[in-house]
Amino acid sequence: MRHASETLSGFFIVLALASVGVAARRATTATRKSARKLAAAEAQVTFNRDIAPLVFRNCAPCHHPGEAGPFPLLTYADVKTHGRQIAFVTQKRIMPPWLPEPGELKFADELRLSDEEIRRIQSWVDQGEIEGHPADLPRPPAFTTGWQLGKPDVIVRAAKPYLLLPGGSDSYWNFVFRTPVDRSQWLRAIEIRPGDKRLVHHANVLVDREESGRRLEKEPGAGFAGMELVIESEVFDPDSHFLFWKPGSPPYVEPDGMALRLDKNTDLVLNTHFQPSGKPELIQPTLGLYFTAKPGTRHPILLQLDNDRMLDIPPGERNFLVSDDFTLPVDASVLAIYPHAHYLGRDLLAFATLPNGTKKTLIHIGNWDLNWQAVYRYEQPVDLPVGTTISMRFTYDNSAENIRNPNQPPKRVVAGNRASDEMAHLWLQVLPHESGDATIDPRVQIQEALALHHLQNNPEDFEAHYNLAALFEMKGELSGAVLQFTEAVRIRPDDPIANNALGAVLLAGGQIDGAIPHLNAALKGRPDYFDAHYNLGNALAAQGDFPGALTQFQAAVHLHPQDANAQANLGSALAETGNLKEARLHFERALEIDPKNELARENLEQLNRDSHDHPN
Amino acid sequence: MGRRWHTVRVVRLLLVVIVATGLASLVGTSLGARNTAFDLAGNPVDPLKSGGGKIVVLVFIRTDCPVANRYAPRIQKLSAEHAAKAAFWLVYPSKAESAEMIRKHEREYGYKIPALRDPQHVLVKESQVEITPEVAVFSTDRRLVYHGRIDNLYEDVGRTRSVATTHELEDAISAALGGKSLEAGATHGVGCYISDLE
Repeated sequence: MRHASETLSGFFIVLALASVGVAARRATTATRKSARKLAAAEAQVTFNRDIAPLVFRNCAPCHHPGEAGPFPLLTYADVKTHGRQIAFVTQKRIMPPWLPEPGELKFADELRLSDEEIRRIQSWVDQGEIEGHPADLPRPPAFTTGWQLGKPDVIVRAAKPYLLLPGGSDSYWNFVFRTPVDRSQWLRAIEIRPGDKRLVHHANVLVDREESGRRLEKEPGAGFAGMELVIESEVFDPDSHFLFWKPGSPPYVEPDGMALRLDKNTDLVLNTHFQPSGKPELIQPTLGLYFTAKPGTRHPILLQLDNDRMLDIPPGERNFLVSDDFTLPVDASVLAIYPHAHYLGRDLLAFATLPNGTKKTLIHIGNWDLNWQAVYRYEQPVDLPVGTTISMRFTYDNSAENIRNPNQPPKRVVAGNRASDEMAHLWLQVLPHESGDATIDPRVQIQEALALHHLQNNPEDFEAHYNLAALFEMKGELSGAVLQFTEAVRIRPDDPIANNALGAVLLAGGQIDGAIPHLNAALKGRPDYFDAHYNLGNALAAQGDFPGALTQFQAAVHLHPQDANAQANLGSALAETGNLKEARLHFERALEIDPKNELARENLEQLNRDSHDHPN
Repeated sequence: MGRRWHTVRVVRLLLVVIVATGLASLVGTSLGARNTAFDLAGNPVDPLKSGGGKIVVLVFIRTDCPVANRYAPRIQKLSAEHAAKAAFWLVYPSKAESAEMIRKHEREYGYKIPALRDPQHVLVKESQVEITPEVAVFSTDRRLVYHGRIDNLYEDVGRTRSVATTHELEDAISAALGGKSLEAGATHGVGCYISDLE
């Protein structure tokens, strides 16, 4: 039985190679040295000695040809021709783009100038942008062109380019990639090449195991519009990795044991945010996939705090607070954090309160800017013991003074997936600590606690009911699963996934009459729903309606000819309706696909015995 | 002091350009290497002495300024709407941007407005602009009615409104066509500093 769900808005890969740490340490030394020199002479600031090191480290990763920066900053001439502009944007901390305030916990790829560095740039410009002694100039950074991690194992390219119009507002577009893997593989990195990097603010890859993205395409490969996505996942396969791209960051390579599973028939959906450039642009991203033989043995989980129900912001309100607090049911380490709001978000704070009362700020963004959103990875995992409360405090500005307000004059704004709606989401990638009891998966404990928590916030939370049901089902508690799936269907009576899931658990519990209406409802909402055809075929067969079952299994096989179980069941239905010749073909087909398919093997043996006893 | 040195360097640069772009520019430059802007063939042009009867709108841009580039569709549209009564010119103040680069830029961004190079910043000074993109609007009697931003889409570099809520260039064009002066005759643009160009 298959089904599932989970609503996600986007997750991503982040930067930070080992070399970044080295570069940062080196730069710190250089900073101290030049600070001493400055103090000694109250002196002249020169490009070669004082400015080049910080430009090379902080600016050049984006400002070099082929990258996101609109002009290169690699030489004295490059920097001089934008000198005043650089002084302005650094003083206002517009550049380099780095939203979090400095705090106790360090992020791996911090891109923040110190106050002294900012003053140094001002002095350099004020003093007339002196070049300085050639011997002081450090070696300019060398950048890899092409694939940053070398040739990928597999390269996939978007089937069709997206046309970005020259003017108008920002666009949000999704590309669906069919991954050409013929068996499950472990993915250690994805390099996202979003097309012309000057146009892309950020991009996220979502793992789509149930073809949710494809169903939104008008034609195969066309892609689809949308800022936030709902992706279904299997019964228990919680999302575990941030797959994120932002300008200037190298692809993130997962540590050993934390590779991401990529199955056959899995799609990767690339969610992108573009800003018009003034001329028409064709954008056709590619993804480079890097595999490893080492399977994932440590299983992180993405945990979402939110409180969308609180989001109902009156026009003119400048300080609207949305909060959520979730208490960890297990010991866990936080690896990365991703706060997310739209254009009204102003101050985004997350903190942890340990059982002993100690507070730790996990992230604080005092001046939120959707355009520079990012996933932030901690330099060291943040260990939080069981009983720690993670808190989200986001404030929103829906006044006309908020220049990013999409509504002028301001209007009432509630939660939603469009750019003009709002969101209050805080995602954390956490690695639960092993409990010592192998029968307990700490991810299940977290998922269950989360679902219950979301229902406490909002008893009408469809996904929470759904996920709780899926957890009950996984634990074999069918009555609990029926109860929760029933709630999900009550909230969304026409939802195909919830109806199929409810039908499936009823069927598993032998309540065939109860299952059939829900499976039919699922197919009404989505006529090409493989799982529902398959389940309905089983239900009808259990009632002895073999012609009815035959129709359903034919539809299932038509949708997924490579599914051995569907082939075997179609064979059974054909055999039951007297078509032994064709039944044999499908049993054989099932065994070709999966030589271990027991249903097909047993039926084929039966068929051989029968034909032996009663030759035609 | 430093300025003088730069002037010398500029002339040398111009000579190099002459060699590269041929005879036409040689004539143009020899007539007035100083105090003039040039068309893309290298001929000296004073946009304020042409287009009689129309108001003049100078739009200051550079090929590598992302803010200026993002305004391209808006500028092209405004120039088309007002073509009968307003003469629009694109002015590229960067010495480093050749006629060739500018032609390519115009093609890419769909500009159909005549372009000028202003390597000596003659028009920059006359228009009192400091940033690309900024515009200058001159009345039919060539009084500077307005200089500054096109609208308030940008609050800062990297900080944009979802839509502009004030439209200074359009207001200035209306005022100039109506023979009126503008309450706020000057604003500051957001983008790339012209003084960074040497």
